[in-house]
Formats: sequence, structure tokens, C-alpha cells
Amino acid sequence: MSMLLPLFAPLLLIIAAFVPALRTPARAEAVSLGALALALSGAVAMVMTGPLVLSLGSGPFLLALRIDGLSAVMTVLVAFVGWVVLRYAKTYLRGEAGQGGFTATTLATLAAVLALVSAGSLLVLIAAFAGVGAGIGRLLLFYPARPAAQRAARKMRLVARAGDAALLLAAMLLFAAYGTADIAAIGAAAVPAPAAALWAAALLALAAVLKSAQFPAHGWLTEVMEAPTPVSALLHAGVINAGGFLLLRFAPVMEAAPGAMAALVMLGGFTALFGGLVMLTQPAVKTALAWSTVAQMGFMLLQCGLGLWALALLHIVAHSLYKAHAFLASGGAVASVAAARRPGPVAVPGIGAVARAFAVAVVLYAVVALGFTLLIGPKAPQTLALGAILVFGVAYLLAQGFADAAPAELTRRTALWSVLATLAYFGFQAGAAHLMAGTLPEPPEAGPLEWALIVLAVLSFGAVAVAQALFPHWAHHPASAGLRVHLANGLYANALFDRLTGGFRTQAKN
Amino acid sequence: MFITPQKIEPQGHASLLAAAEAAVRAIPPAFPLEATVAVNPYLGQTGLTLAATGARLARVAGAPVTAPRALHAGMIAAGAITKGDLQAALVACAHPARPASVADLITGAGAPAPMRVPLPTVADLAATASGTDWPAIIAERLGAWAAAYFDRGQALWTPAPGLSAYASWRQWAVHDLTPELAGLPGFAARVAAAPDTPERAIAAATGALGLADGACETAFHRLLMGLGGWAQHARYLLWQAELQGGTDSAASDLLAIRLTWEDALLAAYPGIGGDWAAVAQAHGEPVEPDAAMILDTILQEAAERAAQRRLKGVLDGAVPAQAAAARPGLQAAFCIDVRSEVFRRALEAQGAGIETIGFAGFFGLPLSHRGFASDVAEAHLPVLLSPAMHSHSAAPVAVAADARFAARAARAIGRFRQAAVSSFAFVEAAGPFYAGKLVRDALGLAGKLPGPDAAPALDTALTPAQKQATAAAVLKAMSMTGGFAPLVLILGHGANVTNNPHASALHCGACGGYTGEVSARLLAILLNDPEARAGLGAQGIDLPADTHFLAGLHDTTTDTVTLFPDTPATSHADAIAAARRDLAAAGAMARAERSLRLPGATPDTVAARALNWAETRPEWGLAGCQAFIAAPRAATLGRDLQGRAFLHNYDWQADAGFATLELILTAPVVVASWISLQYYGSALAPETFGGGTKLLHNVVGGIGVVEGNGGTLRAGLPWQSVHDGTAPAHEALRLSVMIEAPTEAIDAILARHAGVRALFDNRWLHLFTLVGGRMAQRYVPKGWETA
Repeated sequence: MSMLLPLFAPLLLIIAAFVPALRTPARAEAVSLGALALALSGAVAMVMTGPLVLSLGSGPFLLALRIDGLSAVMTVLVAFVGWVVLRYAKTYLRGEAGQGGFTATTLATLAAVLALVSAGSLLVLIAAFAGVGAGIGRLLLFYPARPAAQRAARKMRLVARAGDAALLLAAMLLFAAYGTADIAAIGAAAVPAPAAALWAAALLALAAVLKSAQFPAHGWLTEVMEAPTPVSALLHAGVINAGGFLLLRFAPVMEAAPGAMAALVMLGGFTALFGGLVMLTQPAVKTALAWSTVAQMGFMLLQCGLGLWALALLHIVAHSLYKAHAFLASGGAVASVAAARRPGPVAVPGIGAVARAFAVAVVLYAVVALGFTLLIGPKAPQTLALGAILVFGVAYLLAQGFADAAPAELTRRTALWSVLATLAYFGFQAGAAHLMAGTLPEPPEAGPLEWALIVLAVLSFGAVAVAQALFPHWAHHPASAGLRVHLANGLYANALFDRLTGGFRTQAKN
Repeated sequence: MFITPQKIEPQGHASLLAAAEAAVRAIPPAFPLEATVAVNPYLGQTGLTLAATGARLARVAGAPVTAPRALHAGMIAAGAITKGDLQAALVACAHPARPASVADLITGAGAPAPMRVPLPTVADLAATASGTDWPAIIAERLGAWAAAYFDRGQALWTPAPGLSAYASWRQWAVHDLTPELAGLPGFAARVAAAPDTPERAIAAATGALGLADGACETAFHRLLMGLGGWAQHARYLLWQAELQGGTDSAASDLLAIRLTWEDALLAAYPGIGGDWAAVAQAHGEPVEPDAAMILDTILQEAAERAAQRRLKGVLDGAVPAQAAAARPGLQAAFCIDVRSEVFRRALEAQGAGIETIGFAGFFGLPLSHRGFASDVAEAHLPVLLSPAMHSHSAAPVAVAADARFAARAARAIGRFRQAAVSSFAFVEAAGPFYAGKLVRDALGLAGKLPGPDAAPALDTALTPAQKQATAAAVLKAMSMTGGFAPLVLILGHGANVTNNPHASALHCGACGGYTGEVSARLLAILLNDPEARAGLGAQGIDLPADTHFLAGLHDTTTDTVTLFPDTPATSHADAIAAARRDLAAAGAMARAERSLRLPGATPDTVAARALNWAETRPEWGLAGCQAFIAAPRAATLGRDLQGRAFLHNYDWQADAGFATLELILTAPVVVASWISLQYYGSALAPETFGGGTKLLHNVVGGIGVVEGNGGTLRAGLPWQSVHDGTAPAHEALRLSVMIEAPTEAIDAILARHAGVRALFDNRWLHLFTLVGGRMAQRYVPKGWETA
């Protein structure tokens, strides 16, 4: 039984949320540290003895928690972010009338997220999803009288409920298809997929798209700065991953549905490029970070759609850690904007420099990819395509050092950072693949559909990367003024959403 | 010239543009947070009394200008405001609508104060009529454009540079589909067809809105107030341009933009025409305070008189006699900032031979400084002045070049992180490392002191004559003409905070929102320079050869002092070591005293707040400031002024021709009034003049903050800077200025400076003379009366 103790981390948090003596800001931090310790011990136990399972009941009402490799990573991540957030909020919210309620709701929300990522059965998963939505909805209304907060919370609830409904339907179909509510059993029996399972995969993809704030349902995420900074950190580092996690959890079911996978690639890829371009136009730091999350989640869904599950998990973890820090440290933006001006003008790379940068990046990629292939074996074409996209990004860094006006020392430094970034990326990727071998499936064999998607992804990301590198040459051209405005407004998807849902109406003042 | 008049403008526009200019000048400037300083939010109303200002701000913003009536009623009931205070305040009010007696005043204080609601805009009326939240939509749309237009480097893709605000907005608005989606069809086409100059746009919209000449000024003021910090930032651009002899049109452009919206909404909702006509009529009425406003300003005055009465008790009270040393062993010059008062008292308590001096923290050097590895010249001086000396960090060339390459590489990585496509590579390559950063910052382990910067140096060395003149001028202004200690510390100050957009608001206001380090170091270097010292005797300054000057920086968050031994002084090694011990002991005392006011602090945890990235109240800044005292330190020595007083050393008997007094009244007093009134406005009218809550702050464009998603820029002090969560941290009182000098000398100076005199006549400041450190005379517009 003591081996199963880690599974009680959500219970610990939920108890603390309801016991006044435990939910003072200082004790809540201690409780979250306890949850982190449980999560870590669960990960260790999982490695030593295999998955931990706790179950109760049977049939469709099976209640089960399960920690396997995927859950171990996610519970540690969530508990860690939870600790950072509660520790931050302890000081940040001092003197706020709502601090007590905030602390309790945060504990309860963390409990729900932990339950979600260690769910072993469909019912637990559905309940945890609903619990996360309810908790975040309350946190968004930290200042209940703010009309903008009411708007954001209402929008978030609408999308969350649609996602919950999609998940509920998917779960019913899965139970119908496989006759079990045990998620691990569903995964094991995924292939061959009954027709109901294909529909379930489509609904899971829909739920993931809604939960990950993908175009055109992204508006709720870009407006939630109406809640205190720690809520943003929790949302962008803990909660937003739920969609991606859902796909990872049901990876075998998803892989059996190539149509759903293709849809994820296209929508995720589009949202990634769309969000990335919108982010360029955002002058407010938290808003830019929110758009960045939209883009990063799109990229993660693209990876899921290509069947790069381990890479998607790496992306979830890396993005969560980065984004939690970025939000919590966003007060430093005044200093960083000032600091960026001090060393003088930026050297703008010309077309020649950009071409050189991409050539060098491709060579760098070939060398590093070859090295890793020799070390740990051949890679799937999906993996290589992703690597190419990442290297397009590195080319942008190189291009800055290759600008004619850039001194040699700057070229040397940016080149060094480019090599380090490439090595780090492939190192983490290899590590993630190694850790998740056996837990998450391999990418599917690339058929014509997969190859078409790969080519589409590489070409579109490549085109945007080149445009980005040449950005100073066209960004302020009168011909692009309209494009800038439309992108800055997120192509009006959110405004349309507002119009349809009454977001422009005067709000009731409470 | 404010708006460039176009030759082709019809004559009728002149009065319109004058009203637009008056409305723009009624808005206070908001300095960018990169180097922000306190600004008097009533800067445009200093020619009016508080009551008249209250009437105007009620009309254009609904903002109160006095503390809540219930607070004053409570103070009367508790005896904190006495009948004597009320009587004196009542007598001081000359308005015909004042209450007849103290009894009426007390009765009035018990009655509820009327709600002050600003006159509605067309957008307000349209919202009521249609149920569409037009004011919020306009705030959001205007904010989306303005944030990008005024951006100083946050976004990679800014609007095309080089356009005026009006032209840039039109380029935005003709493409923006949002207003049409929100329910205003044809708005983009309307903007496309709008006049091509802001002047004509103002004229066209004013005509369409049916605003008569006399109604324009407050109607315009109303619209600009509705733009909050954006109007104030634009007003800052005008301020800076005028300081350099130019002009800027951004503020009047904003007015033209906002009027274009009003015009479009009135056209879209013709049904509100009647209501709007009544509003336009009301804008034409004269702005007069009503009896309730008069009552509130009298209560406010009474509260200030009560505070002055308590201060008089402190100044008149007995203090233990202090044996004055024949020659002090250590002198330390601090900024007049109220935070120095606590530290000065603590330092003086370390020994009888320690003297402290108060002077504006830029130490009289009007510097423009380029920092280490930086191309950016930063103005380290009060914002009322223009730089006249240029300096730079004199670090070795190789070291600076290396730092510069590192900064440029870091900037390239920052763009790599931010750009499309490359941001994905960044996250997967660097994201995992942020686990370590999270732990480091959560535990406050990021020590961020890379060691002191290299000594500053002037770009063009001064000639010996210039050095002597500068040294003599500064020492005389500091009233330091003799009695020098062997070691004199020149201490600037700065705050030490983490992750705080408002960090510069905690730095030295006299240094333009930077720390005082550069100013203090340059002055110490100058005063140690034999060429500068050679001629001081001839100027009446008796500076012993063994006096050494040493610069330092007082960290107001942690109360530690860093010394900068830029001039070698082996002869003073022992004295410096002793000074370090005294400063450390004084720091501990000061921290203990400050910990009582800081929520959640103990003497041992005060310093850790500097490194806590979640701390919204690392220190109190100048909260609580209520008095400015210019007198010899003997007048205040040993008296506990609780960190609420600006202390400026001044000895009128040594001030030939009262030149120093004139400097004090026209510079430090004005700066102190800006600080005190900023706290006053941010505390009393947080929605209008406050910076909002830090919990929702979203830094925009590197210049300021918005609350939440976007919308209106929030200038002024955040709520956390004036409130501790349970009680206000700043009692909103207009500053009491106390000068130890003859009334005739003060009168003569006020007669020459009408702007300064208006501050006292309209009671934005109270003015007293001191005699032997005791409050003697109170200034009233008619003359002086016994305090």
C-alpha cells in the first residue's frame, strides 16, 4: 500500500483546499511541496517497479489512478509548477481580500490537474477535466467586478464546456468500442480500431483543439490576463497542457485514426504559424506570451499529429517550464526593453546573409543529425522533418550574426549559441525518446498521407522562417500595413466569437 | 508652438485649437517606466484652487480631490481633527458657499457626500442606448493601436515608423475590421474619408457634435481623461519636446482620434442626439464648485492643519541636548528624499562626531550619462531641467567591448526566442533549463550584484576654472562653506528590487528616475580634484586640505550603503573603515524601524524583499511624505520625523542675496510638490490617477503598464504602493513646506516666480517659516499669520 502513496497526491491537495487550517498561504506552499515529494516518489517507484495502479469499482464507473512513464513526468511537472505558483502567490497576493479563496481554489485546481494526468479510467479523466475547468473559471474571476474578467471567464467556460462535451462523447464511444473504461486497456486493444473508435479519436482531437486554444477557438486564452499573474503561470504551464496530454494518453487510439491525425497536423501547424506571426505584433508582454502559448500548443499538436509523441511530451515539459518562468518574471519587461536598446542598433541581415545562414544551418543539421543517427540509430522521416523545422529557427539566430554590419565577435558568439541550441535540442529529443520508449508509441510508418503532411509542414514553416529572417526588409512596407493590422487582431476570430456570444455587450456590474 | 497651424486653416479654427491646446495642457505628463519620476497629477490645474480643480475633475473624470468625507467625519469623532482645526480651516476658506459655522461644518461632515459622475461621452450614451459597451470597445481598440505605436521595443513587428500619431492611427483604422464586427458599420470607410490633418478632424468632429466654442475645453478634457495614461504619455512627449525647444502633436492627435469615434457613434445612433445636445450644453456652463465640494476641501484643509499641529508638537518638543563636536569626524550628504531621514537619524545615533546633510540627490550636476557598454544617454537630473554636462562610464575599452558583444548576443537570442518558427526551436532547446531558473528565482537565489560599475568621467574635461566654479556652486548650494570633517560621504540613493515594472519610481526622482550613483561619484571625484579645490578659499569656502570626499549609494530597499573609492586615499583608510562600520550599524537600525511599517516584515527579512520576485511592496518609497523642511540640521536633529519629511540643509545667514533660497523654492520644493501630489492623487483617485493593481499589470511597449488584457495605459502609483492591504500607507495631505528664512526674503522670491507662488496661493502646498526650528509664520495669500 505504501508503494501506492504517490497516487494520493491529488487527495492531499483537495483535503488542504477544504481544511481552513491547511490553506493559509504559507501552509498551502508546504502542502504543495508535499505533493511534489509524492510525485517524485511516484516517479521513482514507477521506474523501480513499473506502473502504479489504484482502482475501485468496475464497468463504465471504474475509478482508477495510474502512474506510468507519461503520468510520472506530468505529475512531477504539475506539482513542481504548483509549488512555484503557490510560493509566488504567498507573497504576491499579500493583503488581498481574495487571497484565502485564491489559495483554496488553486489547491483544488492543482488537485484536479494531478488527477487528470494520473487518471487511469475514463470517469476519473472526465471528472478531472471538469474540475480543472471549474477551478480555472473561478480563478479567472479573482476580480469578479471587472467586466473584462467576466468576459474572459465566460468565454473560457464556453470553450471548456464544449471540450468537456467532446470528451464525454469520446469516452462513451471508447467504452462502446472497447468495452472497458480502463485507459491502459483501451490503449492495449486500440488496433484494430472499430468504427466507433475512429469517431472517438476525432472527438478526442476536437477536445484537444479546444483545450489547447487552437484557431479559431484561441480567444479565451489570449484574454485571461484579467487574473493575477500566478493564475496565468498556472494556466499556461499546468492547465493548457491538458489537451496535448489527452492525445498522448490515447496515442494508440489516435494513431489508428489517420484522418484525425492529419487534421491535427493541419490545424496545429496553421495555429503554430498563425500564433507565431500574431505574437510578433503584440506590444504587451503578457499578451505576447499568451499568443506564444497558442503557437506552441499548435506546434505540439502538430507533433502529435505526426505521431511524434515523445517529442510532444518534451515540448509540453519544456514549454511549461519556460512559460511559467516567463509569466512570473514578466515584470522585468521594462528593464529588458531598456537593456535591448543600450548596445546600439541591431545589425540587419541582408538576403545574402540569410541565404548563408540557412545553408550553414542545414549543414549543421546534417552533421548533428548524422552524429545522433550514428550514436542511437536511424530516425523516422517525421522526426527528421521536425528537426528541419527547428533548424530553420536556428538559421534565424545565425542570420543575425551573419549580417554585414555585425562584427566578427558577434558572428562567433551567435554561431556558438546556434551550435549549442542545436545540440541541446537533439540531446533533449534523444533523451525524451529514450525515456518514453515503451510508454508512448513510435511514429506511424509514413504513407502517402504522412509524406504529404511532412512536405506541407516543412515547406510552410520554411517559408515563414525565410520571411522572418528577411523581416526588416518588408515589415514596414506600405503593402504589408494591412497584413500587420489583420494579424495584430488575430484575424478577427476572437472578435467574431465576441459578436456571436455577446462579448461586446455591456456587462452586469456586480 | 503646440499644433502647427496650417496656413490653409480657416480662421474659425483658432479658438477650437486653443481649446484643444488647453485640454492637452490640463493633462499631466506620465514619464515612461524605464526612468519614471513623480508628476503632479494636477499640474494643469495649479492655477486653480483645490475646490475649482475638484469641480473640473468631477465634470471630466468623476475623480475626487479630497479624502473621503466619511474618513474626515471619523477623524472629527475620534478627536484627530479638533474644533480648532476646523475653525482655522473654515476661516481660511474665502468661498461664499462655505458653511456658516464649525457646527454646520461638523453636521455637513456627517452627511453623505454626493457621487461625482463625469458628464457622459457620446460613447457612454451610445452604450446606454444600444447595450453595446462602446467605451470599453474604444478603450480596447485605441489601446491596441496606441500600445503598438508608442512601443519602444517590446514587439518585433511595430507599425511603420515616422508617422504622426493621427496618420498612424488612420493607417490602422482603415484596415481594422473590429469596430464593424462590434456593430459600427462603415467605420473604416469613414476613417478613410476623414480629414487628413488632425486639426481639420477636430474641427469637423466638433462641428458634427454641435460643440459651441465655450463647451470645447471641458468636452475635450473629458475625452482625453478617458484615454488615461495614453493621453499622459503623449503629454510627456510634448513635455520632452518643449524642453528641447520643439513641439509634439501626439496628444492633440489622440484628441482628434477620439473625436472621430464620437462623431461616428453619434452618426450611428441618431437617437441619442437629444441627450448629447444637453451634455454639449452642460460643457458650456462655467465650472464652479458646489457647496459640497467646498465643504470637502475645508475638511481636507482641517485634516492637514491637524497633521501640522502634530508636526509642530514634534518640532517644538524637547530633545536631549547633544554635545556638538568641535569638528565632526564624519559628514554624510544624503538626498532630501524622505527615506534618507530614517537612515540619517540612525547614522547620527552612531556617534556624536557624525553629521548629516540633505541636498537634492543629483547634487547639482545636470548630467546626461551613458552607462557601461551603452549607447543610450540618460538624463540624470530633475525633469524640469535640461542636461548641461555629459558623462560616460570610463570602463577599460576591452571590458566594455566584451560586455557589449555579450549584450548583443543576448539580444539576438531574445529575438530568436520571440520570432515566428525560431520560438519553437528555442522552447525545445532551452525550455528544460528553465526548471533551474524557476528554482533559483522562487528561492530568491539570483544575487544580481556584478560589482560596481567603473567610475564615471565627463566626456569633455572641465577647465580648472570650471571645476572651481562648479565645486563652489554646489558646496554653497549645500550650505557647506566651512566646518568640514576629514571624511565627507556623498551618498546618492537607489532601490534594489526584482521583477518590478515600477522599479525606477523607487529610484532618485532628482536624478530623473535613475539611481544617484553617477552624480555622487562625479561630485566626489570633482571635490577631491586639487584643481577644483585650489580656488575655493577665494570663494569663501574653507575646505581643509585633509578633507576627503567619498561617494556611495544608499540602497533604500535594504538600507545598505555601497562606497565607491574612486579617488585613492590611503591617509583616510581608518576613517573609511570606521565609516563602513557606522553605516552598517545604521543600516540595521533603519531596517528595524522600517520593518514596523512593511507588511510581513521583520528586521531580518527586510533586505530579502529586494530579491523576492513576487514582492509587490519591497519598500514604501516616499509613501507618507508630508513635510519639506529647509533649515540647518540643528532644527530637526534628534527629532523622529518617521521618514515623512524631506530635509534640505539651508542656512539663510550664509546665503548672500538669497540665491540658494531661490534655488530651493523653485527646484527641490517644486519636485517635492510633484511627489507629494502624485501620492495624493494616486491615493485619493486611484481609478483616475493611480497605476491600478500590480497583480494584473501587463507591461506594454516598455513604457508602462495596462491592467489585464489591454486597453488604457495606467500611469501613477500602483495600489500596492499606497496601501498595505488593510490600511492606506499614505495619508493624503498636501505638503507642508517649512523654511528657516525671513518672510521678506521668501516674499521677494515668490514675487519673481508666479508659478511657484500659485502653488502656495492655491494651497497645493502649505508654507511656513521656522525660527530656531519652531514653526513661526504661516503663509496666506494676503500675507503671513502666526502659525
